[in-house]
Amino acid sequence: MLLEIKDIHVHYGKIAAIKGISLEVNEGEIVSLIGANGAGKTTTLKTVSGLRPLSSGSIVFDGQDISRLAGHKRVQLGIGQSPEGRGVFPGMTVQENLLMGAYTRKDDLSADLAEVYELFPRLAERKSQFGGTMSGGEQQMVAIGRALMTKPKVLLLDEPSMGLAPMLIAQIFDIIKEINRRGTTVLLVEQNAQQALKLSDRAYVLETGRVVKSAPGPELLDDPQVRAAYLGGH
Amino acid sequence: MKGDEVTREQTPAKPRGLRAVGHGIDVARDWWEHAKIWQRYLVYIALVVGALILPAPAIGTFMSPGSDWTTVLVYPIGTYILLAVGLNVVVGQAGLLDLGFVAFFAIGGYSVAYYGTQYGWTYWATVAFGIILAAVSGVILGAPTLRLRGDYLAIVTLGFGEIVRITANNTDEIGGARGITGIPHPPPVFGMKFVLDPAPYYYLIVAAIVLVIIFSVRLQKSRVGRAWAAIREDEDAAELMGVPTFKFKLLAFAIGAMIGGLAGGIYAGKAVFIEPNTFPFILSATILAAVVLGGSGNLPGVILGAFLIGWLPERFREFADFRILVFGGVLVLMMALRPEGLLPSRRRKAELHEGTGGMGTMGAEVPGPDADVSTTEAAK
Repeated sequence: MLLEIKDIHVHYGKIAAIKGISLEVNEGEIVSLIGANGAGKTTTLKTVSGLRPLSSGSIVFDGQDISRLAGHKRVQLGIGQSPEGRGVFPGMTVQENLLMGAYTRKDDLSADLAEVYELFPRLAERKSQFGGTMSGGEQQMVAIGRALMTKPKVLLLDEPSMGLAPMLIAQIFDIIKEINRRGTTVLLVEQNAQQALKLSDRAYVLETGRVVKSAPGPELLDDPQVRAAYLGGH
Repeated sequence: MKGDEVTREQTPAKPRGLRAVGHGIDVARDWWEHAKIWQRYLVYIALVVGALILPAPAIGTFMSPGSDWTTVLVYPIGTYILLAVGLNVVVGQAGLLDLGFVAFFAIGGYSVAYYGTQYGWTYWATVAFGIILAAVSGVILGAPTLRLRGDYLAIVTLGFGEIVRITANNTDEIGGARGITGIPHPPPVFGMKFVLDPAPYYYLIVAAIVLVIIFSVRLQKSRVGRAWAAIREDEDAAELMGVPTFKFKLLAFAIGAMIGGLAGGIYAGKAVFIEPNTFPFILSATILAAVVLGGSGNLPGVILGAFLIGWLPERFREFADFRILVFGGVLVLMMALRPEGLLPSRRRKAELHEGTGGMGTMGAEVPGPDADVSTTEAAK
């Protein structure tokens, strides 16, 4: 097991955003968290990457308890995240953004940089353009590429399809599948449940800070309750 | 070269008025980016020579008809520039809004005054100690408060500035409200005697400014500078890149504080007398205005801003009581016409004009008309 989240609780002030979520991610999988706004998907990811502190529970990554570890140290262990709203550095060029992903690395970057540009040819064309002047889809590519530059064992993706045109969504999901095929484990948060479930080995359905269902992705696609709630039901 | 293919806003064929100024700046910036090392050094040398002949009476009669030009150059202008370069580390580079910067100026000043008059330390020792004290107080202020963001941090730092002033006011050991008089002048350097003639102080402050600029530029280009840029642009994303954001914010506070402390030490060495009201909140606001007006994060802009903020009220002295009003009017006008500052860096412009993406629109933005179509086509 690569990542194990055990009964975590997270609070914003006095408000409980997560009330006892447990989930696990095995090496090589794509696991999705789906659910409505406010279900706690983004908070779960932020807690894994260390941007939000735990109130209780624990997170074990690669055999190590990281529950109290600072976010920047988790990056070095192999947790890479493309954050909510993409978080592209607007005043840095595409290339500088990608190099920020390698901030803590001291090894040779050229192969990884080349791989990111191969996955996203669009970024190669726009190396010296400022992040802030790019379209939403391009920024999403920068955010994913930048997370890949941290050389993650697990890649956390927060709503990679948000605000993108349908054609582009399909393309981003194809790339996520390709990243996974090349050996990176993926934990995906999505509102676009249809696409996410098709892609995922397993998925968890979150509702108001709790896991209400978990099953292999395709199985959930056929689940009548899930269809009714998140897939526009038929 | 980096920046070659960077897309810029289109400039019309014959730019006029303010736009011509902006265009001129762009041309100068392009030239600078491609300038050879020796060309750059020529510019540096020209700037230093310019700074050294600036006190000339011929320049002074125009720049400051009402008061002694060299004195004006030391305070406010030179001191403001030094303070602005220091505050720029905190606000411009790390993106932390500090409204209490005057506190470090005060700590540097009081260190020189107190240890010079009470313990008879030599001037340079008191300045060095003031810088250390300022750095330590920067860490003491930062450690508990740098977990706050934006407005909250601004409020706490504002409080800190006031706490330092009020504490000085109520501490008899350092003179209380009466302040400290008889602060020793610096000892002679290269035969220059620091007494009443303002010229030696001017050269001292120019030397300090040059040193601090070199230090600041080196920092900006280092790993530390990159970390600060990332924190300024998106703190969460910086942490996700493995940047120890808290540590680097603390470092920015400490370094900014050191420069503030240095400015205070130099000021006290000339002023002979300081009191708590030498360090009012309005001075923090003024220096912040200088940084923002000039172009936060861009050193040439920040220096220009500090120069103007220090100089304009002196130039407008003939308007007597109205000068601050005129000054305020000029500030409002400038910010309305050039909201990014007089000389913003390109990077900064991109940050402020953050295209279609980013948190400003909560992710629900509509992509540019052609952008996404061309993206999908390019990938086919």
